[in-house]
Amino acid sequence: MIPWEGLTIKTIFVQGPVPGFRLILVMLISAALIAADTRFEHLTAPVRSTLATGLVPVHWLGYAPYRFTDWVGELLVTRGDLEEENEELKTRLLILERRSLKYAALAAENNELRRLLNSSEAVDDRVVISEVVGVSPDPFSHEIIINRGANDGLEAGQAVLDSQGLMGQITQTSQFTSRVLLVSDSSHAVPVEVVRNGLRYVLLGNGERDHLDLMHVPDTADIREGDMLVSSGLGGRFPRGYPVARVSDIVKEPGEPFVRIKATPKARLNQSRLVLVVFPPENETGSQTEAEPVAAPVGEGD
Amino acid sequence: MLSVISYPLFVVSVIVALVLSISLFPVDWLAFRPEWLGLVVFYWTFRAPAQFGVLLAWCLGLMLDSLEGTALGVNAAAMAVVAFLVLAMHQRLRMYPLPQQCLVVFLILGTNQMLVHFLKQMVGADSPGFVYLWPAATSAIAWPAVTAVLDRLNRKLG
Repeated sequence: MIPWEGLTIKTIFVQGPVPGFRLILVMLISAALIAADTRFEHLTAPVRSTLATGLVPVHWLGYAPYRFTDWVGELLVTRGDLEEENEELKTRLLILERRSLKYAALAAENNELRRLLNSSEAVDDRVVISEVVGVSPDPFSHEIIINRGANDGLEAGQAVLDSQGLMGQITQTSQFTSRVLLVSDSSHAVPVEVVRNGLRYVLLGNGERDHLDLMHVPDTADIREGDMLVSSGLGGRFPRGYPVARVSDIVKEPGEPFVRIKATPKARLNQSRLVLVVFPPENETGSQTEAEPVAAPVGEGD
Repeated sequence: MLSVISYPLFVVSVIVALVLSISLFPVDWLAFRPEWLGLVVFYWTFRAPAQFGVLLAWCLGLMLDSLEGTALGVNAAAMAVVAFLVLAMHQRLRMYPLPQQCLVVFLILGTNQMLVHFLKQMVGADSPGFVYLWPAATSAIAWPAVTAVLDRLNRKLG
């Protein structure tokens, strides 16, 4: 008998009914996982966090080319350009410092007034700066990945801002990275109010980056193009008063109960590289638990 | 079926596929990104059906779930189906000329994408139309290049 002959036959026919059995097994595990992941998130959170932590090198590698081009770009900057930029930044700093002087006085005054009113809410929020290291590979979901995670004290549910306005919220954390759901994702909603007159509405994402939908606005509501919408703080998820969007388009259709209103997000959702993650005020945790925060990501758009 | 396969190459190809599936593709054309991990799973179960199979494909799919942020198990189940279909037809597949192999790649990865799409819709995503099938088509186009490169490396390193 030739020894290798049996071997070849074996390698060709070794997979008989076994793959089918394995497939069924794996399908059952998958079904259980999917159900657990969508209905009982706390069960799979550790698995998710461990997987994401293990895949940090992949994120790092995926981001490496961009870091490299940045580095090359920085190498090729001329002295003149740098001086110009420096000058520009100094001017900007001066303007912002003046503004912050005024702000400090206002914040102090505001805190004083709040103290007089026996309200516990402080004006200032603690933030941490973080860099965007990836975007979701799924073209139908609007998510970004930032380079701070559970090690920096981040948790799911924290609000994320850029220099212009509200970007979204953290949905998952691993040890070193976090996943941020942007306001433009079709499963995202923000409670907002109109700055001009305090009308409260809900701003829904719709899967497009350049506009959001303001929901359930009656025909007669006092709202105009150009109105600024800021987060109202209702629902306990987002801090109050951060700019979210500006009303860009109002369409009134006779026969429809509500006006269709589009708003342009203030944050530069697909451009910002540096973002701020806001920590919820610590002295307020007591009242937060009482309020029972409404889960801000809602299931369906309509 | 290759006489020799290189395990380090397998690890490297998986890492490259994972990196490619989150990076290095123009943002505006994201809908056309080939399903790199699907191609890798297809290649390895096709070339070495005795060593790679359903369970390994499932684990790789789980990694993709974590990267894409989909519900855990969605891509995993779809990858397992790819491995299963390849295992079921790898002997016939070997006889096919390259264009016909590309067609099979389209069909199998299309099944994968459909399953992913179906599961996502069940979980609550919202993406109408047949746009989700584009990755299967571009994967079929990429298949000759992928198999040529991996075959060559396998012969050199294995």
